[in-house]
Amino acid sequence: MIVLFRSFTTGRLGTIVAFNVQNYIRVFTDPEILPMINNSILYAAGSAALGTGVGAMLAWIVARTNTPGRVLVELMPLYPILMPPIMKNIAWILLLAPKSGILNGFLRENFGIQQLVFNAFTLPAMVWVFGLACVPLGYLFLLPVFLSFDPSLEESAYISGSKPMRTMLRITFPLAFPAFLSAFVLNFLRGLRSFETPVLQGSPGGINVFVAKVYDSMSVEYNPGIATAYSTVLIILSVLALLFYVRATRFSERYATITGKGYRVKVIDIGKWKYATFLAVFAYFLVGIAIPFVVLIVVSLIPYYDYETFMMFPANIDLSNYHRVLNHPSFVSGLYNSLFLSVTIALVTVLAGIIMAFTIYRTKVYGSKVFEFIGTMPLAFPPLVLSLGLVIAVIGTPLYNTLWALGLGLFVAYFPYALRNASGAIVNIHKELDEAAWVHGARWRHVFFQVTLPLLKPTVTGALFYIFIEAIRNIDVAVLLVAPGNEYGPVTLFEYFRVGQWAEAAAGGVIYLIILILAVSIAKFVFKIKFSL
Amino acid sequence: MKKRTLLAVVVSIFSVTVALGSVALAASAPSDPFTKVSGELYAKAKQEGALTVYSVWDVEHIVAILGAFSKRYPGIKTNYWQGRNPEIITRVMTEFQAGRDSVDAILSDNAPPVIRAAGAIMAYETVQKASLILHDPTMPVVSLQIQALVYNTKKLKPADLPKSWEDVANPKYKGNVALDDPMRAGPLSTQLAALKGLWKDDARWTRFVKGLKALGVPVHKSTSAMMRLVIAGEYALAMPALLHDVVNEMGKGTPVNLVKTASPIVFARYAGIYAKAAHPNAAKLLAEWLISTEGQATLDSIGREASRKGFQSKTSIGHAYPAGTQPIPVHDKLFLEDPKKWLDTNVKPLWEG
Repeated sequence: MIVLFRSFTTGRLGTIVAFNVQNYIRVFTDPEILPMINNSILYAAGSAALGTGVGAMLAWIVARTNTPGRVLVELMPLYPILMPPIMKNIAWILLLAPKSGILNGFLRENFGIQQLVFNAFTLPAMVWVFGLACVPLGYLFLLPVFLSFDPSLEESAYISGSKPMRTMLRITFPLAFPAFLSAFVLNFLRGLRSFETPVLQGSPGGINVFVAKVYDSMSVEYNPGIATAYSTVLIILSVLALLFYVRATRFSERYATITGKGYRVKVIDIGKWKYATFLAVFAYFLVGIAIPFVVLIVVSLIPYYDYETFMMFPANIDLSNYHRVLNHPSFVSGLYNSLFLSVTIALVTVLAGIIMAFTIYRTKVYGSKVFEFIGTMPLAFPPLVLSLGLVIAVIGTPLYNTLWALGLGLFVAYFPYALRNASGAIVNIHKELDEAAWVHGARWRHVFFQVTLPLLKPTVTGALFYIFIEAIRNIDVAVLLVAPGNEYGPVTLFEYFRVGQWAEAAAGGVIYLIILILAVSIAKFVFKIKFSL
Repeated sequence: MKKRTLLAVVVSIFSVTVALGSVALAASAPSDPFTKVSGELYAKAKQEGALTVYSVWDVEHIVAILGAFSKRYPGIKTNYWQGRNPEIITRVMTEFQAGRDSVDAILSDNAPPVIRAAGAIMAYETVQKASLILHDPTMPVVSLQIQALVYNTKKLKPADLPKSWEDVANPKYKGNVALDDPMRAGPLSTQLAALKGLWKDDARWTRFVKGLKALGVPVHKSTSAMMRLVIAGEYALAMPALLHDVVNEMGKGTPVNLVKTASPIVFARYAGIYAKAAHPNAAKLLAEWLISTEGQATLDSIGREASRKGFQSKTSIGHAYPAGTQPIPVHDKLFLEDPKKWLDTNVKPLWEG
């Protein structure tokens, strides 16, 4: 509300403001607005479709097929989640850059192909890189749905003579539609406001997206009023996306797959296709983490990047980047703060998201549908604008300049993910289970804690994991809320990206990634936490 | 006798020289403006006991500066917050409008003038103004942003290099130039303001801007990313790069070098004192100390450019460029106070028209 209020004010920083619609007149008479909206929609929709589609396919393979190498197949889609999107950006630019990229260089040196086959600075390359960053969300949203399917629906298809692939297309995927749409809408909204890919890959290719206008308004004019007015266009697009989502899922009971009948998820024998599905998972593992990670490791260990120096590895190993990162003034304290806050925020947001989703879909509280919009609204705001609104909200309180304020900011930023995730899962639980409890005189809290929550367990662990990973690498929301003397790991560490020290950034990213991989592996193998698997 | 006379003369000359030297030293000590003001400020700053700095500089650099400052002036607890210029401005102005006194000094280039224009900077003129290359009567200039024209040594031969900034607009460099976005308040717009003031020839300046546009190259919003792409070989020229980055990269053996015939563009890096600073004397002491030879040596040790005349360092113009190279400063008042308005008036009609 604070940010929206600012959009109706004019006057530069420090001057008296007036309440009017001048900012909106300027926004809607801007001749660049339509081409940029067009680029933004193509980029966001393309990335969301690629990411959610691949995520759904991986979730189905892992949950429902007899793909060989069970342990590997379960693990391979999991680890790419740990890689921060900006690290993927850097790695893919190094791979796909037209003149200096590794892939074009390899084709040129080994096959004499002088033509620039790959180009990181095009819309398809932007969609490819951001689409890869969207896969984890699609995977984590769809996996619990495929794991909690009522197999009788598919069995009916088999009895009627349907082949496995046809059953998948006609029965399985349509039933997963609400969760798919939830993930798609979230990824679409992430694409609309994402900044790193458009700046690092779009600007050099002359592809301008809408969110760049918002940032220009802040960085060139330092004018929150006009920035928030431009943000309103994003909010309108977000509301349209949400209306579409609500309309598509208004008969949500149709999609319920968890019913009162006993069920056991059936693994489908897909015949020779199982080798293709293994290759598909392995291919995603390669492009999702293995190849970018190897590129970053090599870049972090060489004095500087160009194709010749890259190919000389390991003859030119240089550990100075690691030395610098490990001696960074706030590496340890920042890492501790980020671990503590990420765990806390993941727990709090997921619980709050489930309670709100339960209220919306399972109670008759007046106006509960409005909560869905309100709860999802933070997604429409570019992080810097959202951060500004939060600073204004807490500046007069004792929370300002404390870790609590940062925690609040992260909660606001990630609550929509928890809400959408819980909504998708609750829609899949048939109301007959609740109704059985109501009939037996249970109160809402009994229904919630003893019926709904246990059935949501796979979803809860997936959302906890996802929000923890997102929060522990957050930069944009944290940057204005982090307090002097209270470091936040990603903000201090990824400062290297900002100042262009990609080798040090790669070294820092590798260290961070190793810590996360170790943490997740210990959680999975020592404490037997399943992360929806 | 002659020997005695000679000895007496030598002793007399020596005595007079020592006496004069002592007088000169005695006279210089109290008249050294930094020594005098730092003593006064330190006494008050110790009473204040703390100092908070917001800066755009690398965290490692801020920590090194504040560490050296604390060692020199014990009893002042230092703290910092690091962010980009838009974030610094947003944070400071939000705090200013809410009446908070969280920050004391702002170390940056583009942020302090904007904050000053909004009334959130306390005017303070350094007592060491006579020693500075660039001076601003309201904000001490503690360091310089020095823009350099940079090329990839594997991609361009010396014979093919542009001779000046103006030459970069030559169509033969099409596809080889990493160009900063001239419509953002970044290094290229600073350069355009500097050259407009230097040339005082609108037709020539217009030709230059149109020539850059005619290259048809995409523009970048991060000079750091541009520098990476030039090092990687994606582009041959960075228009522009920052001297301390270039010196740092050349020290690592990276294949980049300066086009030394293109005069460097210089822009101030300020220590702005926040209007509602809780510890204004500590902030002023930091600014004065940074300008002193000791402070400038600390800046040099972390690879930052000095702002003091005649201070020799690896990032000084005297060290990096041939003797006699004249830097080009920005004097345009409108640009310094309102870069957006300056861009809309001067660059936008040519770039977007």
